Amino acid sequence: MATTVKLDAGAAGHGAEPRGKRDDDGQATYLIAIAEALWEEMERDERVYMLGEDIGAYGGAFKVTEGFLDRFGSGRVIDTPIAEETIVGMAVGSAMEGLRPVAEFQYADFMSSGFDSIATVLGRYHYRSGVPLPVVLRGPSGGYVRASSFHSVNPEPWFAYGGGIKIVAPAFPADAKGLMKSAVRDDNPVLYLEHKWIYRRIKETVPTDPDFLVPIGEAAVKREGTDVSIITSGALVHKSLEAAENLAQRGVSAEVVDLRTIVPIDEETVLNSIAKTSRALVVSESYRFVGIGAEVGATIAEKAFEHLDAPVTRLSPPNMPVPFSPTLEDAFLPQVADIERAVEELSAW
Amino acid sequence: MATEVDPTTAPAEMSGGSRPLPDDELVRMLHVLKLCRYFDERMEALYRQGRLPGAIYSGRGQEGTHVGVTWALRADDSLFPTHRDLTAQLTKGLDLKRVMAQFWGRIDGYTRGRDGNSHIGDWQGNKTFTVMSHLPIAYPVAVGAALAYKLKGEPNVALAICGDGSTSNGRWHEAINTSAIHRLPVVWVVNNNQFAYSTPNALEFPIPTIAERSVAYGIPGVRVDGGDVLEVFEAARAAIERARAGDGPTLIESVSLRWRGHAGHDPAKYMPDELLQDYMANHDPVRNLEDFLLAEGVVTENDVDALMERVEAEFEQGYEYALASPFPEPADATKGLWVEDGYWTSEPGRAGGTEA
Ligand SMILES: Cc1ncc(C[n+]2csc(CCOP(=O)(O)OP(=O)(O)O)c2C)c(N)n1
Repeated sequence: MATTVKLDAGAAGHGAEPRGKRDDDGQATYLIAIAEALWEEMERDERVYMLGEDIGAYGGAFKVTEGFLDRFGSGRVIDTPIAEETIVGMAVGSAMEGLRPVAEFQYADFMSSGFDSIATVLGRYHYRSGVPLPVVLRGPSGGYVRASSFHSVNPEPWFAYGGGIKIVAPAFPADAKGLMKSAVRDDNPVLYLEHKWIYRRIKETVPTDPDFLVPIGEAAVKREGTDVSIITSGALVHKSLEAAENLAQRGVSAEVVDLRTIVPIDEETVLNSIAKTSRALVVSESYRFVGIGAEVGATIAEKAFEHLDAPVTRLSPPNMPVPFSPTLEDAFLPQVADIERAVEELSAW
Repeated sequence: MATEVDPTTAPAEMSGGSRPLPDDELVRMLHVLKLCRYFDERMEALYRQGRLPGAIYSGRGQEGTHVGVTWALRADDSLFPTHRDLTAQLTKGLDLKRVMAQFWGRIDGYTRGRDGNSHIGDWQGNKTFTVMSHLPIAYPVAVGAALAYKLKGEPNVALAICGDGSTSNGRWHEAINTSAIHRLPVVWVVNNNQFAYSTPNALEFPIPTIAERSVAYGIPGVRVDGGDVLEVFEAARAAIERARAGDGPTLIESVSLRWRGHAGHDPAKYMPDELLQDYMANHDPVRNLEDFLLAEGVVTENDVDALMERVEAEFEQGYEYALASPFPEPADATKGLWVEDGYWTSEPGRAGGTEA
């Protein structure tokens, strides 16, 4: 079971201190798990290489790639200029020539600076040409770290909309490792979102089998329950689990479904959960209007109507920049208490 | 540093009066030039008659640039063109019949009906990128192909083309800058046809030439006369050799004029008539090579006539092939987004019929 380590993430969630190692009992942070997956995939397949800003000697803004340059050299760990359109373009062009690039975005926020190469080229090339693009774009997303408007974004709706790109957003170290390995081995483009609030906070036992894979497209029930289903992803999985624990003490049984993959979404696991609980709370860190929660909610309303005993309810922030001040950010993003309140309202139906 | 372009193209002085290629290759080059010119004219006529769906982007007057740069590539080198550069793709080896099937939305087109007109490519066969509209979006992708050649130690070169207007876009700078930092095997070609849709050079950049921008990237820049296919070819050959030798990118600005509107719908009333007349009379890359080869005794008038007959027959065959090719099956519209559905690795459905 995962344990929460109360670490101070520092300004904007940065971790300038070393990435660290697994504990002696095999527990690893999410950050370590992601790095392990990348390391093992680069060891396994020499076509895999990385590119991005400050990923070489510096080891990346969050230290995911610390030590990679020494092991794999500057031909496979490539520092780029601040040129996001070109970072993605390079990934695409080299994938067309048989390589398997993993491009780091310093923050997922800057995916918007490479938008055209992502949405137009990466997402639409295979459909028109039949040329596979095994490209992974990865970067830290999400809030709760006092990083304000330009370092807290959840970009998944931007890229889910256009189609042609798989999107994963793991919440646990083992899932993070298994999904990263699946992403690198996938022949389609994959956007891999690492929640920066989780990086150094959550630890668990992570498999060491070099072929440990978590399939893309499968959600997971992280806590069983009977009264209400909470459908969520990323940092909010942990907040939902905390809320479910508190609710249990008050006699309300909440099930927590971690989507893990946003595209393609695992409708079956979501709908099975609703069939069991008859009540759906969709908790999403992406914005309310046209966000991932809106899509999940619509799917439930359309396909699980006969099971529902209450309106499908959404909890997500408004379509506005994420504010900085602790009081503002806390009011803006869904909190444990908000989740508890919403579940109680739903279970009253 | 940028070199100055010849103000006029006198056929007898083409390529400094010497023949940079064996005679049989020069005759093949004339064939491609004439085929692409004829194709361009005939397709426009069909479009105007309402017999061609979609859009057309004429490259007329710029064939010297397209054929010249592409001629210098090897089969394993890659080409990253735009909507304007169909002639370059045909030069690289695309089959005219399948190109025409694409224009009519047929299953035998290179994109299986998923795209139209010059938004075409054949990576698996001829190493050309399937064109995307957003300009110049293939420039960053060419950096990636060149990076792969360098990382894998392959002796290939990537060559990307875009228009003068595209040089104003940020990714043009990003791509050239990044390729120069890593000394990648790539050649950057700008087809300066003096207009970006209706916008003239003066409203796209405040300096006299595009080639001189190379100085800012620490790479060579050359400016050549797009009316002289052999001059373009020689500049491209030198740049490609340089790239292949590991000495990094070169910027080539090839100057011509867009003889037609931006696309089939555009009458180009903004185009100064004297400029157009001058270019059509004095900078016609097709006629220039023909006159040069006649003057040099490489071809006779009879040879040229025979070449034209062949070109017309090739066009007719392409047209018949295109109209006989079935439309894609409607049920296949959603296939091929993901690799694992296997659409692109199996034969497509061909029951779509030929009536539309
Ligand atoms: C990013 C982008 N903005 C706008 C357009 C619409 N557009 C298509 S072609 C064109 C003009 C292009 O001019 P230039 O780069 O000189 O190439 P040319 O068409 O003259 O070959 C424009 C504005 C586009 N394709 N891409």
